[in-house]
Amino acid sequence: MADMNRRDFLKVLGISGTASACTIDPVTPIEKVLPYVVTPDQIIPGVATWFATQCTACPVGCGVVAKNREGRIIMLEGNREHPTNNGSLCAKGITDLQATYSPDRFTGPMVAGQDSTWDDAFGKVVSAVKAAQSSGKKIAWLGRERTGATAAITDQVIGALGGSVTRWEPLGKEALRKATKAVFGIDGVPSYALSQAETIISFGADFLSTWGGPDHHHGYGQSRDPDHCGFVSQFWVVEPRLSNTSVNADIHLSAAPGTEAGVALALAKLVADERKYSGPASSLLTDIDVDGLIAAAGVSKDRMIELAGRMAANMSIAMPGGTATVNEEAVAVATLILNEVAGNIGETVTFGQDANLAGVSYYADVEAVLADAANIGVLFLDELDIVYTTPGSTAKDALALVAQIVAFQNEPSESLTESSIVLPTGTTLENWGDNESIMGRHTLQQPAMKGLKNTRGSGDIMLALAKSLGLGAGDDDEEATPLPDTFQAFLMDWWKSNVFAKSDATDWDVFWRSAVQTGGHFFSRDVHSATFQLASLPEVGGTTDGVTLGLFPHHITYDGRHANRPWAHEMPEPVTGFVWGTWAEISLATAEKLGLEEDDKVTLTTAAGSIDVGFFPSPGIRDDMVAVVMGNGHEGAGRYADLTGANPVRLLTSMSYAGDKVTVTKAGKTTHISTQLGNIDQDNRPINYIVKAKDIGTGKGPGGLVHLHHPPIDERLIENNLLDMYPEPEHPTYRFAMAIDLNKCTGCAACQVACYAENNIGVVGPEQNRRGRHMGWMRLSRYWEGSGEEPDVRWQPTMCQQCSHAPCEGVCPVLATYHNLDGLNAMIYNRCVGTRYCANNCPYSARRFNYHTYDWPEAFHMMLNPDVMTRTMGVMEKCTFCVQRIREAKSDYRDHGQVVPDAALTKLLPCASACGSDCITFGNLKDPESEVSKKFENERAYPMLAELNTKPGVRYLARISHSEAETGHGGGH
Amino acid sequence: MANTNSNSEAKVDTELSYGQVTSDVLAPLFTMGKPYMAGMGLVLLGLAYGGWCIIQQLVWGLGVAGYSQPDFWGLYITTFVFWVGIGHAGTLISAVLFLFRSKWRTGVYRAAEAMTIFAVMTAALFPALHVGRMWNAYWLFPYPNQRQLWQNFKSPLMWDVFAVSTYFTVSTIFFYIGLIPDFAAMRDRTRGVISKMYGSLAIGWRGTDRQWRHYMAAYGFFAAFATPLVLSVHSIVSWDFAMAQTAGWHSTLFPPYFVAGAIFSGCAMVITLMVPLSAIFKWEKYINVWHFEHLAKMCLLTGGILTYAYLMEYFIAWYSDNPYEWGIFAFRVVGDYWWVFWIMVVCNCIVPLIWWFKKARTNLWCLFIVSIVINIGMWFERFNIIASSLAHQFDPAAWTYYLPNYIEIGVLIFSFSWFFLWFLLFVKVMPSVAIAEVKELLPPPLKQKGVAAK
Repeated sequence: MADMNRRDFLKVLGISGTASACTIDPVTPIEKVLPYVVTPDQIIPGVATWFATQCTACPVGCGVVAKNREGRIIMLEGNREHPTNNGSLCAKGITDLQATYSPDRFTGPMVAGQDSTWDDAFGKVVSAVKAAQSSGKKIAWLGRERTGATAAITDQVIGALGGSVTRWEPLGKEALRKATKAVFGIDGVPSYALSQAETIISFGADFLSTWGGPDHHHGYGQSRDPDHCGFVSQFWVVEPRLSNTSVNADIHLSAAPGTEAGVALALAKLVADERKYSGPASSLLTDIDVDGLIAAAGVSKDRMIELAGRMAANMSIAMPGGTATVNEEAVAVATLILNEVAGNIGETVTFGQDANLAGVSYYADVEAVLADAANIGVLFLDELDIVYTTPGSTAKDALALVAQIVAFQNEPSESLTESSIVLPTGTTLENWGDNESIMGRHTLQQPAMKGLKNTRGSGDIMLALAKSLGLGAGDDDEEATPLPDTFQAFLMDWWKSNVFAKSDATDWDVFWRSAVQTGGHFFSRDVHSATFQLASLPEVGGTTDGVTLGLFPHHITYDGRHANRPWAHEMPEPVTGFVWGTWAEISLATAEKLGLEEDDKVTLTTAAGSIDVGFFPSPGIRDDMVAVVMGNGHEGAGRYADLTGANPVRLLTSMSYAGDKVTVTKAGKTTHISTQLGNIDQDNRPINYIVKAKDIGTGKGPGGLVHLHHPPIDERLIENNLLDMYPEPEHPTYRFAMAIDLNKCTGCAACQVACYAENNIGVVGPEQNRRGRHMGWMRLSRYWEGSGEEPDVRWQPTMCQQCSHAPCEGVCPVLATYHNLDGLNAMIYNRCVGTRYCANNCPYSARRFNYHTYDWPEAFHMMLNPDVMTRTMGVMEKCTFCVQRIREAKSDYRDHGQVVPDAALTKLLPCASACGSDCITFGNLKDPESEVSKKFENERAYPMLAELNTKPGVRYLARISHSEAETGHGGGH
Repeated sequence: MANTNSNSEAKVDTELSYGQVTSDVLAPLFTMGKPYMAGMGLVLLGLAYGGWCIIQQLVWGLGVAGYSQPDFWGLYITTFVFWVGIGHAGTLISAVLFLFRSKWRTGVYRAAEAMTIFAVMTAALFPALHVGRMWNAYWLFPYPNQRQLWQNFKSPLMWDVFAVSTYFTVSTIFFYIGLIPDFAAMRDRTRGVISKMYGSLAIGWRGTDRQWRHYMAAYGFFAAFATPLVLSVHSIVSWDFAMAQTAGWHSTLFPPYFVAGAIFSGCAMVITLMVPLSAIFKWEKYINVWHFEHLAKMCLLTGGILTYAYLMEYFIAWYSDNPYEWGIFAFRVVGDYWWVFWIMVVCNCIVPLIWWFKKARTNLWCLFIVSIVINIGMWFERFNIIASSLAHQFDPAAWTYYLPNYIEIGVLIFSFSWFFLWFLLFVKVMPSVAIAEVKELLPPPLKQKGVAAK
């Protein structure tokens, strides 16, 4: 080196510096692929294992299958063997996947806010129980609804300790349960078989969203399908507002808040007269003043007579009120009377093996526990955020009085006090468990993956507690059975004596294996009759003064329990398109009166308090009603739960979600909430069509579509075959395609969440959403075409249409998007430079651009689907028809020299699989017998924006309208 | 004022001697005035701010800009088209008017050509700045690579790459050829290394008859070669829009409409640049109202075509009976972007009409201000086309509203600073008025005054 002079040194420095600068790529992350040192049994890298288990996102108790890839659950789908959800899974259920990977999960037990060990924390629990026993204080359990062996272990241990178990659901159907008790003397709720009803009348129940489960979607979808039952149900709603469910209605009778019960009774009277009803309820109906009740509600009498006529003539179903219904119990009683009068009881409204409510308490029981808080030595809180979900500060004050709170909780909650002992119990995917949410349907939960944190299941904790307190074995109880060591053993014992014993099975091992494999054991349902025994009519209230407040659950965060799941906030609420935040639905007139602009917020004030929220000017809500979404705006329940919104439960003066009087005032600009939907309607454009019900089967007009107005195409182009410049692309074996029945779509958004889960779609958060950077590959377009009595709200799930003549493909300068032999618009993320020309040229606005690199915080990255690459900033992305699943199916069958059969394709895609009303069908158009080929030929089928000649691989089956009016937005101008 | 319709009556002081012209034109090259220093300071400040914005965008992604889906293009493409448009006037003035033997071009064509080249250089920044992964922007060029990847020649963006680079190459060669005699003049007026540099640029120019004969043939050839490019480059840029089927873009009217608009804005930009240039360097003898008036007339012609195109767009949209087409055109007038539309109409269609009055088009202040108004209008015209069409695409459920934010404004400032950086450097190293051509308009120097051969 001694020879090196200054010049040479600079030369070397220059060359080596430039060379190294050229190789530094600051953008592409460096990733390492490591092989297993010791290959685990049962795991073939790249091949998924599916475990049947249960969904605990809400009390419905659906069965799910969990997709395990290399030891991590990456996807939840509905269990097709399960009678409750028949393979579908709602938005809440899929979102629950994020519970396991939440970045806010407790890593281990905690005592008084400090990390602890299981020995220490558990020792403290035992000594607290002993202290309570010695000081004569009570042991109490307050938690969510649990059934089956999961409930039995708690009942057994807490019972042995002399404690009380209170299980409560903030959104339990308490009013309906009380009404059923009053009307039929049955402690339970009826089952509503929507599939057989030609007329569906809802008085406020959000039965296609948060009120009930996927069976409602399934039934509703069947009742709307002319090919299934020969009729198309007509859906009427009697409600002061339009919920996610009731926007689907054909007719909306906007009754004043609190008068719904009166409308139901008036209707019952009209139906009784029409049907010459002389059953047990007839004596009650004599005093009903039909005109008075109709006038009080402010609904059209002609419509009421029309509806009564329909109900008398055909099978119908009357759904009760929902959370936003004032005087919900009276409404529930009135709807049961209506169902009785219309002859629906035993037909569409049935009893027998319904919701298992034996272990579920009323709110009064919860109040009793809280009132007695000072006498409670140990309070076990089982994943119930009692402070968040109840009005006022009663719960908070009560919890402060409890000597020791033991919380079974995986994540922070508002109900944790400073001195709480927190025992993380692990999530549904990590533990054994079960449910019998519907009597006779035993769903089994098996650990589908190894626990991520230092957790113990609540059943195991109960067993350990019993053991250290000397309960169970050797006890001198009369029916003492020795308690097993593990909850798994307890569960098996319980199933052996409670399920196996009742079944026809003879071999326990075979039975158990099959139960684990199929996700449970389901007894067939036996319907039993119900006797009408109501003695007097319910009080029909209804106040006319002031503006009434009603709360409704968020379609994913539900009562707030899923608020710490980013997907819950990132999914646009279907009716409003809102993401991240709390909003109030107010009438158009109110919005105008207050002079509200799009990004304003409003202050809601009641006797109990006030909150600031965003607003949605809804064409469907009355001026004297304000509805607010629940489930957001937590304080101390995790990073996503706390981020946005306000808790409207703080506006309530009592535990009744509707009825308080509220004032609305304008308040500054909102910083978070934003809508992901553009226009309220389709602006007279031919996007989303309707077909008149009377035209079904007549083949009237082009494809039977009415109001079809396309921009004119020169006929000579078609005659001379000049419409296409390029030949039809080649599709030798497959032309993958999708048919979406808009008549069945309920706007539940399950497809959207499924898409996020499958495709590793980035969550951009409130600020980026406000700036319009939403990444969802599937837009649930909502066009509010009607007004007044005929809302005519149309859904349209819009994703990449996989066009044969795709406008996006021609304009990409680097060929990052192209047409493949399967008919898909393939997208090469690595090749994309990000000119965004493709997205500009997509008439469906289906493409999404990564304006930033959206990261997943620790633990969420374990949930990513390894079959789908994650995208970084500057890259365009879009729906691929889940090409990874198609490839997997194709290669499976290619190994046997076969073409993928239709049965393996129809529900292959996560969106199609999740759909509760079965409106998405996927398949191969090259197979003329495939379901999708048949749907493409359906008289209602149309391609979106057909006049652009893009030849899309998606066809929509037009919504069927019962409206007689020829005017309105049929889809043309 | 002489009859400006006649090219023969050149408005150049015939009392000037050749030597005087050379001295006058080269004078700014040897001095450094305060306005220049101030201008350069502003330019550097602009570059610094804009550079900071670009670095942010490079590090954090395009998301730092104001884009809102599906408004995927915004200020950057607007500004790209704006600069390509500006880049039109130079070649038009130098090549087309040369072929038509318009004498008035001599005073302004050099600076206009420089403007063209710098405008295209500025425009060329934007395709790189606007792509999501600008470190991969070179993939747009077809080059042999080991991955055997090739480009999509169906894409108008590819055509754009070639149109703009061809235009830039030809304009630069044409500019250089025009400069050769002047470089020789520079060589003769300077000493030492600088003289050698100019000397090498002058490639041995001595001004012999033989050289002049070859030179004029070459110049004529390049003028003829550049002329179709004037029409092609902006036609192709307009195909970026016209070839897409986005409503409001998808129109066969676009190429002529864009070319007219480009010449309109380019001529206005020449006025904007030349009025102060002439005043600061005291070149009233060479660049004066006579030239500006001609430019103003060009603006009146092209502005008229543009107004007609605007009206025709509405006629076509109405006549098409296409709800998307009519929807977007109605939206532009009364929708969220009404202000953009009306700025465009007022600046491009109404304000320039004042130039129909001779008094207005011969008043330097009026020329200067209206030319700036025109360029504001032309920028908004492109913004109107791009932002409104994308904000209201086919599906109303995806409609949005987009406004540029401070990052994009920073990049816009960067583009102007970048342009003026080159322009300011240009006026200090090259003669901004074509010395040789100005001399052509003068009577040849003779030993005895007044015996000029006609």
